[in-house]
Amino acid sequence: MIASGMDAIRVHGLTKRYGEHVAVDGISFEVREGEAFGILGPNGAGKTTTLEMIEGLRRPDAGEVEVLGQPVWPDPRSVQARIGVQLQSTSLFDKLTARELLVLFARFYNLTDGAERSTRALSLVGLESKADSYAGDMSGGQQQRLAIAIALVHDPDVVFLDEPTTGLDPQARHNLWDVIRAINQTAGKTVVLTTHYLEEAEQLCDRVAIMDESRIIALDTPAGLIASLGADVRIAYTEDGQERVAYAPDAQTAVLETLEQARQRGAQIEGLSVRGPSLEDVFLKLTGREFRG
Amino acid sequence: MNLGRIAATTVAQLRMMFRRKITLFWSLVFPMILMTLLGLLFGRTIDAGTITVIDAAHTPASTAMVRALSATKGVTIKLDQSEVPRAKKQVTDGDREALLVLRSSGGSNTRAQLYYSNTSATQAGILKGIISGAASRISVAATGSAPAIGYSATSVDSSALDYIDFLLPGILALSIMISAVIGLSTVLVAWRTRGVLRRLKLTPMPLWEFLVSRIAASLALAMLQVVVLIAFGALAFGIHISATAWAAIPIALAGALCFLVMGFTVGSLVSEPETADAVTNVITNPMMFLSGTFIPVSAMPDVVQSIARVLPLYYMANGLRDTIVRNQGLVHVLPDLGVLLAVTGVLAVVSLRTFRWE
Repeated sequence: MIASGMDAIRVHGLTKRYGEHVAVDGISFEVREGEAFGILGPNGAGKTTTLEMIEGLRRPDAGEVEVLGQPVWPDPRSVQARIGVQLQSTSLFDKLTARELLVLFARFYNLTDGAERSTRALSLVGLESKADSYAGDMSGGQQQRLAIAIALVHDPDVVFLDEPTTGLDPQARHNLWDVIRAINQTAGKTVVLTTHYLEEAEQLCDRVAIMDESRIIALDTPAGLIASLGADVRIAYTEDGQERVAYAPDAQTAVLETLEQARQRGAQIEGLSVRGPSLEDVFLKLTGREFRG
Repeated sequence: MNLGRIAATTVAQLRMMFRRKITLFWSLVFPMILMTLLGLLFGRTIDAGTITVIDAAHTPASTAMVRALSATKGVTIKLDQSEVPRAKKQVTDGDREALLVLRSSGGSNTRAQLYYSNTSATQAGILKGIISGAASRISVAATGSAPAIGYSATSVDSSALDYIDFLLPGILALSIMISAVIGLSTVLVAWRTRGVLRRLKLTPMPLWEFLVSRIAASLALAMLQVVVLIAFGALAFGIHISATAWAAIPIALAGALCFLVMGFTVGSLVSEPETADAVTNVITNPMMFLSGTFIPVSAMPDVVQSIARVLPLYYMANGLRDTIVRNQGLVHVLPDLGVLLAVTGVLAVVSLRTFRWE
C-alpha cells in the first residue's frame, strides 16, 4: 500500500527497563498511514515489548508514543478503541465458535451488528468455512487467522500483529501472508507486525526496522536496506571446512576470482552458492553476527 | 456499566460452561451418583445399628415412644426391667450399639436413659438424634406443652430425618462448593496464563464486567444444581421436600457466591493450573468431611464440631437442610445467610488485593 504521508504512529525515545535489563533502549520511529511496517529482529531483541508499549499494555519508563495523533499514555483506552491487536500468545475461548467469538468481541466494543461484522472479518481472513467450528478444534494457522479476524472486528485503523506466523508450517505461513496483504492493501489498514523471519519482512513490509539488543539498528525499505550493502551478489562457500561469505558487485567476476584464488592456495572449495543479497546479509553486516531467528 | 454487554457476555459464559462436559459431570452427574451410592449403602434410614429398648415405665408416653421406635430398623424392644444388666453387657461387648431404658420418674413422667459405647460414637450420635426427636414429638402430642418424657440431648441435628433426607442438602451444598471453587479458580488461571485477560484489557469492556458475567453464569449453574438435585432426590428417593424449600435459593446463591469468591482468591494467588488444582483440593477436601455433609456434625467429636463452625460449607449445608427438608423458613436461616455473606465480603477484599492481569 502506498503510504499517504500522514503518520499513524510516532514513537520517540521509547524506553523500558526491567531492573538492570534495558528491554527497549530509547527507540524512535514513525509509521505512515496505510503502511505495512515491520519490526524485524531475533528473539529477545525487544520487539514485543515495543509493540506492547504502543498498544497501551505496558507503560514505558521514558519516551512518547502517539497513535493516530493521540498520546497512548497515561490513558490508553481511547487509542485502544481504534487499534486492532493480535497478541503473540493468545489462545481464546476454545468452546466458542469462530462466529460466536467475533460477535462477542464486537459486543465488547458496544457494537451490536456483530453478525455482519463477523461475516466480513471471516471472509477477510479466509475462514468462512470454519464459522461454526469451535476455536479449540482449529489448526494453529486457523487459530492465528481467527485471532486476526478478532483484531479486525471493530474495524480499527491500525492493526498490530505480533509474530503472526511463528510456529506455522510453510503452507500456513504463505496463506497468512495473503491475509496480511489483503488487510493492508485491500482493506487499507495500517499494519505493524513483528517477525523474526527475514523473508516475511521482505515479502510483506513497505519499511522494516531491524531491532537488535533493544535498539533499532537500521530502518528503511527492504530494497533500500539491501542496497546499502553496496553489493549485487552474495557468494557463500566452504573452504577447507570453513564457511565463508563474500559480497561483490558482479557475480561472474567474483566467482571466477574466488575459484582461482582457491586453486592457487591449493584449497578445497565446497558448496558454492551465489544469490542476490537479502536482509540476512544486512543484519550480518550491521552486527557481525549471523541472523538466528 | 453496560447491562446489554454484561447480558451478552453472560450468555457466552454459559455456552462455554455447558459445552464443557466435565463441568456438567462434576456439578450434576457426580452428585447424583454419590447420593445413589450412599443411599444404597446406608439404606433409606440412618444405619443406627441395633439397639435394645427396655420399657420399664409403662406410661402412655413410654408406650408411644416404644411404638415410634419399633418402626425404626434394627431396634429390638424388650419390656422387662430385669433384662437391663444383660442388655448393658451386650453394649459393652459390642453386640448392640446402644441400650435405651425408659423409666418412670414419678407420676406419668418418663425418663429416657441411653447407654452407649464409645467405640460406636457415630451411631450413638445418630441415635441421640432419633430418640430426642421421637421424644419431642411425643411430648407435644401427649400434653401439648409439658414434656411427658424428659430427655436432654446436645443437638437435634438428625432429628427424625431419614439418612437420605439428611444427605440430599449436604450433597447439594458440596456440589455447589466444588463447582464454584474449582470452576472459577481453574478458569481464572487459564485465562491469565493463556493471555485472555491481556487480550480483554485491549477492549473497551472493563474486566469487572467480564468477571461479573462469569459469576452470573456460575450462579445460574448453582440454581440448576438446586433444581436438578432436589428433583432427583424427590423422584428417585421419594424425599419429602418441605414447603419452605424456596428459601434454599438465597442460601444456595450466597453459598455459591462465597465459594466463587474463594475460587477467585485462589485463582489470583496461584500461577499454574496444577497449583490451583492442589490448593482447591486442600481447601475443599477437609471441608467436605468436617461440615456435616455426609455425617451429622453432632455425631462428631467436640473438637471437630468446633472446627465445623468456622467452615462456610457447614453454614450452607445447614441452611439448605433447614429449608429443604426441615421445613424452616428464611428467617430461621438468616444467621447462616449472614455468615456466608460475611465470609464472601472478607474473601472479596483479599482477592481484589491479590488480583493480577499477568
